[in-house]
Amino acid sequence: MHATTLEADIVVVGGGSAGSTAAIRAQQALPRGRVVLLEKAHIKRSGAIAIGMDGLNNAIIPGHATAEQYVKEITMANDGIVNQRAIWEYATHSFEMINQLDAWGVKFQKTASGDFDVKKVHHKGSYVLPMPEGYDLKKILTRVLKRAGVNVINRVMATRLLKDGDRIAGVVGFDTRTGELAVIRAKAVILACGASGRLGLPASGYLYGTYENPANAGDGYSLAYHAGAELTGIECFQINPLIKDYNGPACAYVTGPLGGYTVNAHGNRFIESDYWSGHMMLEFYRELHSENGPVYLKLDHLAPETLTEIERVLHKTERPSRGRFHAGRGNSYATNMVEMHISEIGLCSGHSGSGVWVNERGETTVPGLYAAGDMACVPHNYLLGALTYGHLCAQNALEYIANVGDGAALDEQIAAERERIFAPLSRPNGIPHHQYEYKVRRLVNDYLQPPKSAHRLTAGLNFFLRASEELNEVGAQTPHDLMRVMEGHFIRDCAEMAARASLYRTESRWGLYHYRQDFPTMDDERWFVHVNLKKDEQGAMQMLERPIEPYIVPLDRSELREYHNLRIASAPQSSELKRPTAPSAERGLPA
Amino acid sequence: MSELRDRELAKAAQALQVGNAQTTRRFDVPVVVDLEKCITKCRICIDSCPVDCLAVNPETGKAHMAFDECWYCLACELDCPKDAITVKIPFLIR
Repeated sequence: MHATTLEADIVVVGGGSAGSTAAIRAQQALPRGRVVLLEKAHIKRSGAIAIGMDGLNNAIIPGHATAEQYVKEITMANDGIVNQRAIWEYATHSFEMINQLDAWGVKFQKTASGDFDVKKVHHKGSYVLPMPEGYDLKKILTRVLKRAGVNVINRVMATRLLKDGDRIAGVVGFDTRTGELAVIRAKAVILACGASGRLGLPASGYLYGTYENPANAGDGYSLAYHAGAELTGIECFQINPLIKDYNGPACAYVTGPLGGYTVNAHGNRFIESDYWSGHMMLEFYRELHSENGPVYLKLDHLAPETLTEIERVLHKTERPSRGRFHAGRGNSYATNMVEMHISEIGLCSGHSGSGVWVNERGETTVPGLYAAGDMACVPHNYLLGALTYGHLCAQNALEYIANVGDGAALDEQIAAERERIFAPLSRPNGIPHHQYEYKVRRLVNDYLQPPKSAHRLTAGLNFFLRASEELNEVGAQTPHDLMRVMEGHFIRDCAEMAARASLYRTESRWGLYHYRQDFPTMDDERWFVHVNLKKDEQGAMQMLERPIEPYIVPLDRSELREYHNLRIASAPQSSELKRPTAPSAERGLPA
Repeated sequence: MSELRDRELAKAAQALQVGNAQTTRRFDVPVVVDLEKCITKCRICIDSCPVDCLAVNPETGKAHMAFDECWYCLACELDCPKDAITVKIPFLIR
């Protein structure tokens, strides 16, 4: 089988938001050809924002918000389990990225006086900056990447990282169309592979009907893990409120500032804030499963011109097929409330706090390995966090490579990975990838979906260990199949991590994201720590704890609990299933 | 009774050993290509798809949805220079 072999200084894996700014920044300082961007799709339409984004959800604009406020808000939203330095680094560098995007031609919503038109969606501060023409974002990034002269290699999927001793030394993968092996030696690798979005199975049973772009299968989580890097907060799942069945956002961040809000079946509000947090999701979940469910996004009270404005944004950006979904069901924003549901579980630091452990320099625990975007743990980092941290990672990787010489030959590692990648092709009649994937993800739903308990998590873990053996039965007939089989490895790895991390933290935290029925209270005495995991010397998954570094923006205990009070006081309800009441003696039993 | 049990034990052991058998199945897929409008040898939509589920149909030389893996994101439809593509919502969630 043919192989592509390249030498570079920096390889960026993943050409979405974080990967684009990383490669652009790295190329500014290095000769042409020394920066390689690997993308398993095509950079013009890849990553979480393949079809653009309607706004920045965490913009810290001078005059509207401060870095201190933002760091405080995200510390609250993540129940205190944060590395504030990493959030601070974002908060103090992200406005530069907004100005950079502005210069590249991204259009932000401005007021009549020319100020950024910032909206309030979070519980406390105002950080949402609409981009009504955000459908162009990916095209703009692609143009800048090409102008910079980055060596972009599309349709190559990375499967393992190379190590030279403790250091990172490159990437191995394959072309998902030709089946050719790809080996890129490099001094530093920046992982920007997006979320683990194909973990839970959507309630529809449709494998690719995920909230995340299904290309984001947890590749980066698995690559970092097998390279020996630590991951953190994996038990803090991503679960989002989405349009039922369609499984895309409705989207409260766009409609909220225009007067839309979340209600129960009676049309009554029950949550104070539509900002996506674990505590908001817990109230959402309780309402959904109570006698007041389903839950809806209410827009039918808005003026026709407001609805036109909402459609103009929602049906052109992010998930534009929302319009034909509603039309297909005979619904419209003017006449029907939008029925909402909760997403399948995933891992994503862009929305919650589960990812590869990174510091404020974007460094993982492996020298030369950096991570940015949804897969790197800087909680609630969203799109602007990905763009900002991509840039920061590249800047720091450039400093790092200045002191790294050429590495040793790694023929053994490469040969072993070649064998692992192509093994499924020797089983053309093996189990098809979609059946394997369906089974693992169905088991994820059965055993990992909150509310969690030790018995269910343990049973799930045993199935995921068995699924490791089952991978030896999965076959592939084409390079496309092979891509899906190797994604099956990523998905299974993430399922095992999610089970083990959830079992380890014997308390409840982050609302629904880590709700343990057997440990229903939050226990700061024991669990005010990061729960990390890594692959140990023997190849086993090892759990460890890291202390929370002293805060640089202090919060007192009551402030830390402010996200716990998201239910509207006048809207109490109980989701407990009650025993049917026995008929009273006077009425008697039917004969 | 024990005969039945012996047979089941033997078959259970055999089931762990035998190879795989396959069948095929039709799928309704959401990406519909208008063959009149689609340009032969144009690969724009195939390059756009983030999950690589489109390919050239060897029978027609035109693009088609080759794998039931669509995210209904509309990249192919929006990027097609001939407006030859209509993406439907996949039947399971329609």
